[in-house]
Amino acid sequence: MSFLSPTTSSIFGGSGNEDGSAATGHGGMLVNESCLDFLMMELVDAMCRTAIDEDTDREVIFYKLEMLGYRVGQSLVERFTVDRPRFTDTLDVVKFICKDLWVIMFKKQVDNLKTNHRGVYVLQDNNFRWFMRMSTDIGGTDSSSKATPYLWFPCGVIRGALANLGVSSVVMAETSNLPQCKYFLSLSQQSQCRSRAFPSGTFQIKIAKS
Amino acid sequence: MSIDINCIAVIGKQNNPLYIKNYSSSHPDLKYHYIAHTAIDVIEERVLNNPKLTDAYLGLLYAMEDLAVYGFMTNTRVKIILVIAVTDNVIKDADIKAIFTKVHSAYVSHVCNPFHNLDQDFVASKRFSNAVDHIGQQNSRATIDV
Repeated sequence: MSFLSPTTSSIFGGSGNEDGSAATGHGGMLVNESCLDFLMMELVDAMCRTAIDEDTDREVIFYKLEMLGYRVGQSLVERFTVDRPRFTDTLDVVKFICKDLWVIMFKKQVDNLKTNHRGVYVLQDNNFRWFMRMSTDIGGTDSSSKATPYLWFPCGVIRGALANLGVSSVVMAETSNLPQCKYFLSLSQQSQCRSRAFPSGTFQIKIAKS
Repeated sequence: MSIDINCIAVIGKQNNPLYIKNYSSSHPDLKYHYIAHTAIDVIEERVLNNPKLTDAYLGLLYAMEDLAVYGFMTNTRVKIILVIAVTDNVIKDADIKAIFTKVHSAYVSHVCNPFHNLDQDFVASKRFSNAVDHIGQQNSRATIDV
């Protein structure tokens, strides 16, 4: 991984600061966008290539890419919420994902956020960065179905980010015409962002024998 | 100016203890486990009663006979507890905040370790332990030298 200056790249805070100083947010090391593009290309291709049976293994590929994204999302959120004031409610958390997290990963914000205020959110990105240079000869639905696996890693990132902020969710994505994509978030109604009393006594004390 | 840190504790989002380290010789480890446990209740109370307060730094939670307990809660609901020995010196908020920021960035670096799994038991890496020890002992060593 090459570490370029923040002016020429963005996406993914580095995690390798030697001393504990100022390892916050954008002050840390960043990763070149081309590295990320190449990694994603090979990642999705490797997953699809190692699938034994095209039809049934689509679920397996989804699961693997999504779990990778989940872990990345958890770490990203841990690093990039450091200097931020605390979130007031779930909508605040989703707005953070649409604005800050999307800017960190794709250098732009989500274009449209819709909600039914009952825990279902739709994030629409009209010019998804990873799709900007993709096309196939046939075009139309063929290119959409071939591009869909690239959406599964960001699904995982969103789910991981939400999970680490205390919101459990299910995230699905679809694309109909290529540079545009939509993410469907359904958040569980019980989240830690809402006030609720915690019973004390859930603390487990492990005492080391000295 | 120098703060005598007795204990640094990191508590996870499910209120499970992640890391508790005792830097003083005046009290046994168990006492700091109890202190951290009661601190969770105080933090929860503070956060529930003040939804408008969006600062991560929670200030002085409570004080005992010779110990003062300060709290800090991150956006990911990870709580950091700092127990210091009460001295006659005036303790500045800015100093305490600086200590919390250092512990927080050590924690963030540890979480970003790909071998660390957030959903399983917390295993403190050497780097994390050393970083926290450096913070905890640096301040207490300063008082010994003076």
